[in-house]
Amino acid sequence: MIRSFIVALREARTYLQDRAELAFSLLLPIVFFALMYGAFGGQAQFHATVCVVNEDQGGTYANLLLERLAELESLDVELLSGREADNKLERSDLLLVVYIPEGFSQRITDGEPVQLVFKQRGHGGQEGRIVASLVRSVAEEMNQEFQANERVKNNLAGRDIPEERIEVTVQKFLEREREHPIVEVREDTVGASPDMVNQFLPGIITMFVLFAINTMARTLVEERKLGTLERLMTTHLSVGQLFAGKFLANVSRGFVQTLILLALSYIVFQLFTPLSFVEALAIALLFSAATSTLGFIIASIARTEDQATWIGVSFTMIMVTLSGTFFAIPEGTVWYTLSRVSINTYANEAFKVLIAQGGSLADLGLEMGVLGGVIVVGLFLSRILFRVLPGGR
Amino acid sequence: MSEAFLIAENLHKSFNEHKAVNGVSFTIEKGEIFGLLGPNGAGKTTTIRILSTVLEPDRGDVTIGGHSIWHEADAVRGLIGVCPQELALYANLSAMDNLVFFGRMVGLGGKEAQAQAMAHLELMGLVDRARGKVDKFSGGMKRRVNLAIALMGHPELLFLDEPTVGIDPQSRNNIYETIEGLQQKGMTILYTTHYMEEANRLCDRVAIMDGGQIIALDTPYELKRQIGPPDKTTLEDVFLKLTGRSLRD
Repeated sequence: MIRSFIVALREARTYLQDRAELAFSLLLPIVFFALMYGAFGGQAQFHATVCVVNEDQGGTYANLLLERLAELESLDVELLSGREADNKLERSDLLLVVYIPEGFSQRITDGEPVQLVFKQRGHGGQEGRIVASLVRSVAEEMNQEFQANERVKNNLAGRDIPEERIEVTVQKFLEREREHPIVEVREDTVGASPDMVNQFLPGIITMFVLFAINTMARTLVEERKLGTLERLMTTHLSVGQLFAGKFLANVSRGFVQTLILLALSYIVFQLFTPLSFVEALAIALLFSAATSTLGFIIASIARTEDQATWIGVSFTMIMVTLSGTFFAIPEGTVWYTLSRVSINTYANEAFKVLIAQGGSLADLGLEMGVLGGVIVVGLFLSRILFRVLPGGR
Repeated sequence: MSEAFLIAENLHKSFNEHKAVNGVSFTIEKGEIFGLLGPNGAGKTTTIRILSTVLEPDRGDVTIGGHSIWHEADAVRGLIGVCPQELALYANLSAMDNLVFFGRMVGLGGKEAQAQAMAHLELMGLVDRARGKVDKFSGGMKRRVNLAIALMGHPELLFLDEPTVGIDPQSRNNIYETIEGLQQKGMTILYTTHYMEEANRLCDRVAIMDGGQIIALDTPYELKRQIGPPDKTTLEDVFLKLTGRSLRD
């Protein structure tokens, strides 16, 4: 066993002495995290731009609508011409445009019903639907204010109160109501959008750990190329000890990278409790071991670095694609059935249970069983392949 | 020199249809430097790979120090040191770290590995570069580190597969002197080379291989005497006479 540790230490020293590789492999999780933070962490509240075509230039109510939209913190207003808007919709540069029709203000003044038009591609996208909803609520608010104004005017008709005074008074009242509503909604941000992080973080972690396949796949090939593998085979080092040493080194390396990602997620996104963090580390260790084992199988088969790299990369791509790393796969589909072949699926699901569903390791019997099985079968298979293929022992 | 330390009997090894080693038998006496000469593709390296337990022969057996490579491979590995033809080093580790690592692999404890590593680096004239990374070394220095690794654990039988290829005369001379010193300490050595003057200087007996077979085996003096006056004949004359002048790949 001591020889396995010495092999692992030798691998670690080689890794630590290669400054470029060290920097790359340790910085990469941080860069990934920064990207994730930039995408989901930096702006916790919804913010979007509403594109408006105002065909009622100068209209009182059109301007009022634009002012009200601009007052919303979550919306920026961009005015477009009709042609610009059509072009952008055509090219899918925009998914939703709000049209204020000609005569909008006049018809409101005349007491006639008017329509705001939402032109959109498909259902307008998730952001478009939220924008539409915000615009609709502003329009409804204006509608209610107009109705209130009209009713007060009607009720006070014949009392010799100037119409302008009624209008100013009602507006003051409504303005005060808007500033101090009876029912107020307060938004407290306690972290990034959990749905997005929950969806992406497990995928990023599993994809990252899967890189271990490539480093593992190359390890025996590099030793072969250097001639050190053959030299080691003339010493007391057994193949089992060699495998154990390399396995230990690779699992540790993958685990450290995952640890960085999980720790940053814990600190910044507050996704874990102390217990769920430890449980996530346990899953990361198990998954790192499973991927290293798969890398070992490739290492036992490959005869050149190119072979090892290509088999490793292809395998990684297939596993990531099949597992639906960055999107949900609908149950009952062929893809869902195929996804059961990918070990990423089980690691993804395990992380999601721990991160999003508040589960524990006790809920992850299947996932841990599959990953553990991959380790046992993979090590056994790689040992057999190393024995039977040319150049092995 | 009467005790046979290595006995190779009727070794055969084929790769697909190609017979790399075809019925090779010889013995090496304890404390002897035994030269294995031959043109490219003669089967020298394959023979060494079999003797050093890396390859299993298709047929035949090898006994080293009384242990069969078939049944007691690990015991055999405890007796041998291998200096391969290609440099087999971890280039991004220091010379010292390389030696200590392989020392631990042959079963030395930490302190013993350190002590032997330092002693062997001194023997190779590399003490002042012990902590230097191997990839910064010259070709000759790398060759000397390659040989020093093979000495870790004080093996009783040393396989040297063309240890002086592509190095300067000073490094080559250092390796010659080291080998002669090792023989004086009782080490048995199997030596392959393409340099005939090297074999003439170092080897007690020489086997010439071609086509996977041993076609001549004797002392350099006797081999030379068989084709002409020994003082006017070189081992290269013998070699060319026996293996022909046609080019080999």
